[in-house]
Amino acid sequence: MDAAHGSSVVTSIANFVFPNDFHVHWSMMIVLYPYITGLVDGAFIIAALYYLFDVKSLKPVARFSLLFALAFLFCATLPLLLHLGRPERNLNMLLTPSPSSAMAGFGYIYAVSMGVLIFIVLFVYRPDLVELRATSKGRLQMLYRVMTFDSVDLSEDAMALDRKIIRFLVGIGIPIAVVLHGYVGFIFGGVKANPTWSTPLMPVIFLFSACVSGISAVILAYIVIRKIKGRSIDHGCIKTCVNTLILFFILAFTFEMLEVFSHSYLKSGYHHMVEGLLNGPLANSFWLWQVKICSVIPLLTLGVMGLIKINKSLYNFLAAVVSAILLLQVLIMRWNVVIGGQLMSKSARGYTQFHPEWFDKEGILAVMAVMALPFIILFVMGKIFPFWHKESQTNVKET
Amino acid sequence: MGLTYRRRLLIVLISIVVLSAGGLLIKRLLLPKSFGVYGPYRADAIAEAALVPIRHGTNASCLKCHPYEAKIHKKGRHQAISCEFCHGTFADHVTDGKKSGTLPVKKEKEITTLCLRCHNTEIKARHEEVIKTVAMPDHLKNQNVKLTNNCNQCHHVHAPLKYINRAKQITGMMEAGL
Amino acid sequence: MKRRSFIKQVLNGSIAGSLYLVWPMSANSLDVPEQIPGIRGKEYDSLNREFAFIVDITRCIGCGSCCVADKREYDVPEGNYRTWVERYVKGFSDTIYVDSPHGGLDGYQTPRSDIKEKVRDTFFVPKLCNMCKEAPCVQVCPVGATFKSPDGFVLVDEKRCVGCSYCIQACPYSVRFLHPKKKVADKCTWCYQRVRKGLLPACVQVCPTHARKFGSMKDETSEVYQILKGPGVLTVLRKEMGTYPALYYKGARREVI
Repeated sequence: MDAAHGSSVVTSIANFVFPNDFHVHWSMMIVLYPYITGLVDGAFIIAALYYLFDVKSLKPVARFSLLFALAFLFCATLPLLLHLGRPERNLNMLLTPSPSSAMAGFGYIYAVSMGVLIFIVLFVYRPDLVELRATSKGRLQMLYRVMTFDSVDLSEDAMALDRKIIRFLVGIGIPIAVVLHGYVGFIFGGVKANPTWSTPLMPVIFLFSACVSGISAVILAYIVIRKIKGRSIDHGCIKTCVNTLILFFILAFTFEMLEVFSHSYLKSGYHHMVEGLLNGPLANSFWLWQVKICSVIPLLTLGVMGLIKINKSLYNFLAAVVSAILLLQVLIMRWNVVIGGQLMSKSARGYTQFHPEWFDKEGILAVMAVMALPFIILFVMGKIFPFWHKESQTNVKET
Repeated sequence: MGLTYRRRLLIVLISIVVLSAGGLLIKRLLLPKSFGVYGPYRADAIAEAALVPIRHGTNASCLKCHPYEAKIHKKGRHQAISCEFCHGTFADHVTDGKKSGTLPVKKEKEITTLCLRCHNTEIKARHEEVIKTVAMPDHLKNQNVKLTNNCNQCHHVHAPLKYINRAKQITGMMEAGL
Repeated sequence: MKRRSFIKQVLNGSIAGSLYLVWPMSANSLDVPEQIPGIRGKEYDSLNREFAFIVDITRCIGCGSCCVADKREYDVPEGNYRTWVERYVKGFSDTIYVDSPHGGLDGYQTPRSDIKEKVRDTFFVPKLCNMCKEAPCVQVCPVGATFKSPDGFVLVDEKRCVGCSYCIQACPYSVRFLHPKKKVADKCTWCYQRVRKGLLPACVQVCPTHARKFGSMKDETSEVYQILKGPGVLTVLRKEMGTYPALYYKGARREVI
């Protein structure tokens, strides 16, 4: 832009914020929304690797990751409803979706992905559900009857059909998951008025970091739950998960850095605003937390885990720690993109500030409640759908 | 029930299709009236936007009932100034053709503040060809008046040069071109 | 419903309380001369109407009358602005200092005191909705609550808006805000209701220096038509955004964003 030409690049920023730009409209709930759908996507990838691509070693976590994805998908709309100015009108999204808007597809994409995921879970769990139906009573039995389509047929023929259906559903589930999350990235990438958002890399970055967060979450949850229950941990499974995580994290981190690099190398558009943002208001949360602490450290650790032979218990411990850090990395990355991006005024001359509230409907307490809910749902679902395979309890002990 | 597993699944599939079709039907039924006439929006919203009540009238609406002010205002250098900017909106004063409220009249220092919104030279962005500006209190000093004077003690607010020109006429300064 | 039949139904009065194609002359406030010729007493065919807004920066004195009028006309909530006036100060080192305290509502009574260098130039820039022909806000609205009417006004349907704020993110000019009480998107409408009554937008009407000009582009005698037809250089804000605004600036320096 003309205003930023020549040597006056830095000095031309005199901290002017457009009068309507002081308020950050998309706050923590919009940070949470892509975070939650990202967890769904990543967990689904693990399940897809097992059910569609026959990565056998992932068997111990395959079912769990499906349930994990479902629990979070149930809560994906919650932050959006809390964010909307008029939440009671949310069905307008389904009734009159504007064909030109990237956001309008949300209701339909969400509904389809929810349907597909529910049916995948039902078919995957059918043998267990049939068994549980026989041993349960009253209302719970009624529930199991509905969930097994009131059929107890576990013949080889029926099971073969189930496997086909699962493969088909997971097969269409992958593009749906990619669309569900890629489109979230595109919602940001499609805002040309915001120089940090408007890049075609945005959906790609969102997708890969989604996979990172989801896989990390599954690894961490698997290790923690198994430890708490005093059960053994399948090392082969963790290793496959970590290797997948390495792949996705390298991709995610590369693209995240590529975006920053292209801004400063191309010096196009309002790059001085983006640079000023990353080196100014976001200096800590971006360079220190997102890049140095939460990306470089895990990257080095994952490198060690991938290349050097270390004993199993240390490996598992490191896997859990790296997963926790990466979960934080993705959350911080979402924060830096969503809230960070809005700190730049469209005046291209100044930055506003964001102060999180505690008791607001989009405040810190609400964030904690929204993040706790999927775990409560997961706990309840665990009562209906057993997380782990029975045989895995005995199998794993020997390895 | 003696249905085979495949049959049951078929029923499930059919119910999904039926439910989706039902959903689309409901979507059609719940579509707001006049939606999509000109594009993917409610055409009636245009009419609603056109029916929003207006609050500002024009100078003509004010001067209809204030002939005395009209006479002065229309002749003076301030003829382009909107009555409602200094006095308040028409809607706060008149409802259904009847007086419904009293508009506050600016007094003393308020007047000077109001005048300097436009006529302050210190704000170096006001070109002489657009507006005559003065610096305070230099202007008061140059005119040899008290520094506590308000603008309206010399300038009629509706026709700022009314008294000045009159005074110049009387003293013969006008003819002398001063 | 087809467009033709819709208009017919409106004309026949079968759509109650709907689009008034012919404006009824009320005995009240509208008993004043028309400010935009050719609107009253005629069929308002919105498909055949086009308007333009021109802001002449060389005439703006930063009095803030427009901001005051706008706030009064719409009771704009504190901290939000449908229109505002910015003050640009260009230092001798080419540094640009911009400010807009309270959106210019209180006018500019004092010069900036925090500028340490010699000042080369000072000017005011009024801002309002650009009424883009390719409006990003209309594109992104997921529910069709923000739309561009056939006569070129970008309007908000308060009854459909869900308050997602996507349009606020998408507007390159930051003219939109979420109404704190109504919880729906709100913005400058170029006083659509006034235009439909043949009156000028409130800010245009109160502008003492005629820095804000508004008129019909279908009327060859209108001032805006004459200016836009003429050879004078007019610019739009943030041309690189590809929004094609119907709001033009006369005398806008390149520093104006």
